Amino acid sequence: MRFKSQRVAYYYFVVAVLLYALQIALGLLSAAKYLGPDPLLHILPFDKTKEIHTNLLIVWVLTGFMGAAYYVVPEESRTEIYSEKLAYGQLIAWTLMGLTTVTGYVFGWTAGNKLLEQPFPMKLVIVVVMLAFLFNIGMTIRKAGRWTTTEGVLVAGLVSAALLYLPALIDFDNYTVGVFYRWWTVHLWVEGVWELIQGGLLAFLLIRLSGADREVMEKWLYVIVGLTFISGILGTAHHYYWIGVPKYWVAFGGFFSALEPLSFFGMAVYAYSALRRSGLSHPNRLALHWTIGSAVYSALGAGILGLAHTWPAVNKWTHGTLITAMHGHMAFFGAYVMIVLAMITYAMPGLIGRDEEKSSALGMWAFWLQVFGMFGMTMAFATAGIVQTYLEHIMSIGYLDTQHKLAVHFIMLIATGSLFAVGVLLFLLDFFFVMVSPRAGVRTTAREGAAPWSPAAAAEAGK
Amino acid sequence: MTKRQTRLFFLGSTLLFAVIFIGLTLDTHRQITALTHAEQLTPEVLAGKRVWHEKNCTNCHTLLGEGAYYAPDLTKIADQRGAAYLSQFLKNPSTFYSEEKDRRLMPNLNLGDEQIRQLIAFLTWVSHIDTDGWPPRPLLVSGTFPGARTVRAGQEAVSNDPVALGEALFRQSPPACSGCHSTAEGVQLVGPSLAGIATRAAERLKDPAYRGQAKTAEEYIRESILAPSLFVVPGATFAAAGRSFMPDNFDRLLQANQIDQLVAYLMTLK
Repeated sequence: MRFKSQRVAYYYFVVAVLLYALQIALGLLSAAKYLGPDPLLHILPFDKTKEIHTNLLIVWVLTGFMGAAYYVVPEESRTEIYSEKLAYGQLIAWTLMGLTTVTGYVFGWTAGNKLLEQPFPMKLVIVVVMLAFLFNIGMTIRKAGRWTTTEGVLVAGLVSAALLYLPALIDFDNYTVGVFYRWWTVHLWVEGVWELIQGGLLAFLLIRLSGADREVMEKWLYVIVGLTFISGILGTAHHYYWIGVPKYWVAFGGFFSALEPLSFFGMAVYAYSALRRSGLSHPNRLALHWTIGSAVYSALGAGILGLAHTWPAVNKWTHGTLITAMHGHMAFFGAYVMIVLAMITYAMPGLIGRDEEKSSALGMWAFWLQVFGMFGMTMAFATAGIVQTYLEHIMSIGYLDTQHKLAVHFIMLIATGSLFAVGVLLFLLDFFFVMVSPRAGVRTTAREGAAPWSPAAAAEAGK
Repeated sequence: MTKRQTRLFFLGSTLLFAVIFIGLTLDTHRQITALTHAEQLTPEVLAGKRVWHEKNCTNCHTLLGEGAYYAPDLTKIADQRGAAYLSQFLKNPSTFYSEEKDRRLMPNLNLGDEQIRQLIAFLTWVSHIDTDGWPPRPLLVSGTFPGARTVRAGQEAVSNDPVALGEALFRQSPPACSGCHSTAEGVQLVGPSLAGIATRAAERLKDPAYRGQAKTAEEYIRESILAPSLFVVPGATFAAAGRSFMPDNFDRLLQANQIDQLVAYLMTLK
């Protein structure tokens, strides 16, 4: 940590990992409900646990993104954050918004619109907090009068994410129009501008972890995010096949969705070639694992598993089945959860003022349990989804009868989900107890002049 | 390639595809009224849409295939089940499904009669959206047909024989007969099993509860398709207050010759 104000990132990460744990608890509960019967049917039915599960994901990943931005921007622009106070105030408002929203869900206060369930007043709070955040980041860069491509891509992603949330504020009379614009937010977030954020953070981490040449890395970063938008913008069309819009969306969706894996593969190749020079020699092996993990898992989950069901002739049969959950889980985990955890594990030693960058065995266990747990969950959803597609959608066997036959896959889901949950728990233990307490943060000066590892230092010097 | 060139590639391609996307969006707005029958968006339908959102239906069910995967898709449910059944179901789902047997149960949403009417109006409007042939085969809530041939929606039967055409139609949606009626002896779905209906139809004519005009079994079956409440088969999931849950809109959904084919097919179930 080179700038004192970067420490705000620590508190963002605290909120993020706590909400992460809560998200997983609700996820496990939802998985158990698939097996049924549900003793909580009249207290906390599936719609509420699922809604809280997905909304917490969005809230904590965005918290992580904002924390990461508060860490990256000062370092890239070489200045303190414009207003530390605003950053803390914004975090408090954001956390209160998140907790109020999910508590409201328990009591049925919801807009009932998939992934955009936040009631209107909460949506307004989200917009205000995002504006405050962007103002703070913008003023920081302005104050420094200097910015790098890496942070530029990151900030462009954050600005666009805020802009694309705006259609979510409108209530459309026509349900189809509502669905159409809902994807402007949801799809263009996760398969568009969030990938900019992921790409920016990936570039930041790779430059530091591998000591790769910044000029080369940033050149290719432009290519990757260019590919993201070439495929991602019109790729929105794969959500428009069967909702009552003109037929040409089917053709656009099929073609551009087929291109979508390109940018994810680009990222995987990008990470591989950067690390080929230095190997896994950076002492923060945990951050290295999460970084490569993100590149690999997003290529698998978002790239391959997305492509597995976006082709129209396939989607016609798989649409509305657990196949979507298969893709959704690994894609979100790979592209966004892992990159945030990579940022957290990379930044933590500096944030808590630890001199050496070592990773604990506990942290590695947390990594592998989550990786294998998520792999197992994805497989459980995949097998369940394939069986469901055949029985329900092809054979026209009733929904409830089909779900009966999926019980064994739901048991797998719960088992592997539990492994995953243990991994998350270990991550929290590592984060809060194994790494030193935050009060040690005053020792930041210790690292300021020191160059802990030569290629990274070389990269810094070469900026 | 230099960094300057790749930046140009990023900015140029983003701008280009954003412009195309916005152009297509504008054209979509031009066509969407016709594709969704937006002129039928009555205040009742809009009120029903509000109920749909307020009750968070989408976090268990899918509609147009979108939502959660914990409960059946409802895109065509208004066609398949009809208003009478749906309103009875929504009043208390546990009269129709049991948690022990089905592992899942919809909680009672405590909807008022008006909300139920609005919600059904909304789901009826949704069922008319032009979804480009999705779902390709009827999505049923419950029921299995061991050994049954599945027939592609709109696919012709193997021959032009009226019975074969009727059998194919029986499994298509609309009318989605097979969504509620099995043709196997003793297999009760939402509606009564139609095994032996041709034989039973003749007996029904003599039943004192029968209020229709049919004179023959064939006429009785035709009448039951068009006006289901003239004879009500006893059963908790079949009817309430003397009104059958079966939709009474088949005269509009089907052509006259299709009804002939269905009758011809059902007359073979002796």
